[in-house]
Amino acid sequence: MMKKYWFVLITSLLAASIASAADSRIWGGMILANILAYGQEHATRLGPLFTTLQAFYFRKIFAGVLLCVPAAFLVHYLVLGQKVFSHDGEKIFVFSVFKRLVHWLAALAFIILIPTGLMMVFGRYLGGGTLVATARHLHGVGTVVFLVAVIPMFLFWVAEMLPTRDDMRWVLMAGGYLSRAKQEIPAGKFNAGQKMWFWMVTLGGSGMIATGAALYLQDFDYGAASLLGLSQIDLLRFCAIVHNFLAMAIIANFITHVYMALFAIKGVISSMITGYKEEEEVRFLHSSFYKKLKGQRQV
Amino acid sequence: MTNHFGDVAGHSKLIFIIGANSAAANPIGMKHFLQARDRNSAQLVVVDPVFTKTAAKADHYLRIRTGTDVAFIYGLLHVIFKNGWEDTDFINARVYGMDDIKAEAGKWTPELTSDVTGIPADKIIQVATLLAKTKPATVVWALGITQHSTGTSNTRILPILQLVLGNMGKNGGGCNIIRGHDNVQGSTDMCCLADSLPGYYGLDEGPWKYFAKSWGVDYEWLKARFAAPEWMTAKGFSLAKWWQGVLQEEKTYSSSPIRALWVQGNGITSMTQTAKVQEALDKLDLLVIADPFVNEAAVITHQKDNIYILPVATQFETEGSVTATNRSAQWRSKVVEPLYESRPDQEVMFAFAKKFGFYDELTKGMKMGVKDRQLTHVKDTFSWPDDASLEIARTIKTIGCDGWTPERLRKHQENWDMFDPGTLLGSGPVAGEYYGLPWPCWDAKHPGSPVLYDIGTAVNEGGMGFRNRFGLEHEGVSQLPDRSVTVKGSRITGGYPEITKENIETVLGIQLSAEEKERMGANWKVDFSGIIQEKCREAGVAPYGNAKARVKVWEFPDPVPLHREPLHSSRPDLVEKYPTYADQKNNFRVAVRFISEQKAQEWVKDFPVMLVTMRVVNLSGAGMLERTSKYLSHITPEMFAHIHPDLAAGKGLRDGDMMWLHSPQGTKIKVKAKFSSTVTPDRIALPYNFAGVMQGVDMSSNYPDETRPYAVGESSNTITNYGFDIITQIPEYNAGLCRIEKA
Amino acid sequence: MNYEQARMKFICDEHRCIECFGCAVACSEAHDLPVGISRRKVLTVFEGIEGKEYSTSIACMHCADAPCQKVCPVDCFYIREDGIVLHDKKKCIGCGYCLYACPFGAPQFPKNGAFGTRGVMDKCTLCAGGPEETNSALERQLYGQNRIAEGKVPICAAVCATNALLVGDAEEISAIYRKRVSSRGKGA
Repeated sequence: MMKKYWFVLITSLLAASIASAADSRIWGGMILANILAYGQEHATRLGPLFTTLQAFYFRKIFAGVLLCVPAAFLVHYLVLGQKVFSHDGEKIFVFSVFKRLVHWLAALAFIILIPTGLMMVFGRYLGGGTLVATARHLHGVGTVVFLVAVIPMFLFWVAEMLPTRDDMRWVLMAGGYLSRAKQEIPAGKFNAGQKMWFWMVTLGGSGMIATGAALYLQDFDYGAASLLGLSQIDLLRFCAIVHNFLAMAIIANFITHVYMALFAIKGVISSMITGYKEEEEVRFLHSSFYKKLKGQRQV
Repeated sequence: MTNHFGDVAGHSKLIFIIGANSAAANPIGMKHFLQARDRNSAQLVVVDPVFTKTAAKADHYLRIRTGTDVAFIYGLLHVIFKNGWEDTDFINARVYGMDDIKAEAGKWTPELTSDVTGIPADKIIQVATLLAKTKPATVVWALGITQHSTGTSNTRILPILQLVLGNMGKNGGGCNIIRGHDNVQGSTDMCCLADSLPGYYGLDEGPWKYFAKSWGVDYEWLKARFAAPEWMTAKGFSLAKWWQGVLQEEKTYSSSPIRALWVQGNGITSMTQTAKVQEALDKLDLLVIADPFVNEAAVITHQKDNIYILPVATQFETEGSVTATNRSAQWRSKVVEPLYESRPDQEVMFAFAKKFGFYDELTKGMKMGVKDRQLTHVKDTFSWPDDASLEIARTIKTIGCDGWTPERLRKHQENWDMFDPGTLLGSGPVAGEYYGLPWPCWDAKHPGSPVLYDIGTAVNEGGMGFRNRFGLEHEGVSQLPDRSVTVKGSRITGGYPEITKENIETVLGIQLSAEEKERMGANWKVDFSGIIQEKCREAGVAPYGNAKARVKVWEFPDPVPLHREPLHSSRPDLVEKYPTYADQKNNFRVAVRFISEQKAQEWVKDFPVMLVTMRVVNLSGAGMLERTSKYLSHITPEMFAHIHPDLAAGKGLRDGDMMWLHSPQGTKIKVKAKFSSTVTPDRIALPYNFAGVMQGVDMSSNYPDETRPYAVGESSNTITNYGFDIITQIPEYNAGLCRIEKA
Repeated sequence: MNYEQARMKFICDEHRCIECFGCAVACSEAHDLPVGISRRKVLTVFEGIEGKEYSTSIACMHCADAPCQKVCPVDCFYIREDGIVLHDKKKCIGCGYCLYACPFGAPQFPKNGAFGTRGVMDKCTLCAGGPEETNSALERQLYGQNRIAEGKVPICAAVCATNALLVGDAEEISAIYRKRVSSRGKGA
């Protein structure tokens, strides 16, 4: 499966460079339809929509996400403080070396992708030019890193990330994060928040790759346009809109993820370094998982 | 062109374009037609087998079946005569032989015409009505009319239409034949042809003697240059069928097969029967090609040796005059010195002449001049191009190049901005003269003639009647017009004959001195002394006479033009009714098949699709020059054929698929199918602007290093059908058949 | 003409344009563009359909309210006083947003970046160059000829065979166009 994925990726990149020699799908025969349709009643109106969004909203929303989400967590931290669990109890092995490696590879990708992406969003304040153009190219490199990480990640976690009954209850009580009390939170190995993040990373991330690749390759026909019934240029407009909105969501979630790992629960990050979680942590925060392990006499 | 583009833009109320796609072949010309619409609300009628870019601008578009132009015009004439819409006064006064035309037109009812041409009868009536009611109307044509086995008839029937309508010699009227390349009019006037000396003088002994005199060489010496004396006055091989001189498959008439070919400035691969051209090139002992770009003749041959490509300078690297489509001469300056080792055309010829030992004779004419009314040696050296231009001016009298001195032409070039584009009339330093002195420009004071056959203008200001070319009477009928046709300012009322030494005194009512008599040439065409012109100027008389136009050419196979089906007709039933000519024994030294080819088989059975060739706007001729431009090549990077999706569907072809096109003579080309609604399902249209690939074989490795054009492709002319005009031997490019197979 | 208020515009008269490609080829030649990059394009609509077919030439329309300028993340566009919309290639990052915003498909992206990737945007400058020193070698290299600075008409309109492509002050060329339309009619 992965082999096939790679094959598709590499051949499509190769084909894109060859396609550049052939006549463009944007400026070739399609240009007419594009020009005539622009802004027309019967048309998709994606052009004006993109223009309005990019001109007036995207930058503001990104700024809002970047300011509001951390601000909210700062308040949370100051008001409720860290959750602290005993690090003296037994340790439960949860993440294999491979999984941890893949996780950190994905983390690396995010560390490249998010800042470079934001550099483009706020490029005008950086003066554009080589700096931002380099960011754009790094963004492309980061995508490849992310692609390498996201496929195995999806495969080895997908089964555990499927929704369970616990998830609804977890959501209703906001994972217990709105209270200082130590209580057993309904969750399996992964709680609903983590699951949400997982799907955001895998599905959302795939969406980011797909839309980003379309934007990057620009004139390359991989069937999506005709599938969606769009012209190539409208596909690009569609991709740009989706890419921006998804980015906002992912960035907000990324910040959340970082806050959870670094600040919300003391020392919780060590599980992704050593592979072991504190027994008390598991007992309270992943109570269903803990009960299951107990039932299997693994703790 | 009898008129000029500015005249059309300013005066024409109707522009009837047939067999011309000016939008692709002459965009600047097209501008004037569009200006006429904007300025005079002129209507545009376009007749073409294909919905061209010109047709797209038409108010009335008529889709004609190829090779039925004569029938169509007779259909129009039928309606015009039936309703009495002809210009009776004009016809009676200025035209001879119209009754025969009227009789033939009587047969061509709208229904019959519609059946033959494929144009709906009501459209024929509508356009005929429009033509009759809208004056002045101009008729425009180009290669779609001329390049047929019936090309001569086609080019005759259209002026006849204008004579019937009385549109000749009028602003906004006339016959405006558009030239497709720079200086085509000039090379035509210089008769770069196998059947005439320069200036349409023909090949008879008289003209040869006249030219010998002008060139300052002995007539007997000239005669001795020919292998046998009879070849001097016989037509040579034509560009269309020269290859028969090599291959001798059909009966040829020459002393020996052609063994060497020298091509200078001619895309011989843009002629039809390219496969035969290739065979002939393969058989030659020597091929010399002189061109600024690599002529594909050097590429499509299999020969590896005995081909010499000489780099010739472009127009920007030499100086001299060219002639525009409206007969105006334009002086051009040298912009840069010839690049690298290239040389201007004349330098190449001089170098050859030196080697062959007749350089002195070749250049002697340029050292001659008229002094004291006598042609004589005036200097020991010549300067190019001035002396060549002067030689043309003093020699080419038939079309009145007398006034084209280099000084005057340079002055026009320098005062370009002083001419009114609408009238061509100059002001300031060139006041009273027309731009480029459109011929006839009878003498050094004449302003040029912007509109031919205009009797409302004095001869000395550019007016004239029709030329007295074909004698004074035919079958007892005078060829001169009556008193009503008096050219403005003329001393003679009514018509008069062409002026000769013999008749000048009686016609002009003058007395010549003994010296004048001695120095004067036999007639106005050969009078170096200029006395005839001088006397004519005084009398306000055109030296070539003032006669009737004849619509009956009694020495031609068809005295009045007749519709004859193409050799490869899509309508076998009409072949029976309108067969082509009998086979021709000898024209341009070679036999030509007509009826035997037409009747050889029912061609349409095996070759059901009509084949139309066309020009694409970004390439001209064989595309030799344009395909070396990356930007021009990018517009049409490969050879294609416009094909209607319905026709393609029947052959299992999708847009962009390759297909083989087979011709009746057994040749084939492989081209890309390009879906287009500009053609109907019964025909395909392909550009003739590609070369370098022959019948599926890419020959482009034969290009010398780094000279391969950006685009090469099959030539449509590999499959254009056999067929040649009975008079001019121009090949049949436009009415043929083919068979389509998916490749 | 009041030069203070001049707003440079193109108009292509569809009744005049005959798809001769003269404008597009002259543009490519004048600015030495790579093949496939067409600052100006010639298009035919309803080809082959009688009464409907028309051709037109299209490039950057130098919009007053230019959407490209609005969406550019690095703000590389600027509009001159005479209305010509230009951009700074040194600022441009080649993101393609201007292309998505443009109704006319004007922005072009040569594949001249590293490893044949998309380079910075290129478009019609109305032959007015760019922000570099006027008529400098750098301006010539990045933006092509600056004919406006030399007092010349943009090359496309200069070569237009049928005077279909009009360029100049919006008011003036509209007046020319209107005059043509009003005098053009069916029949004498």
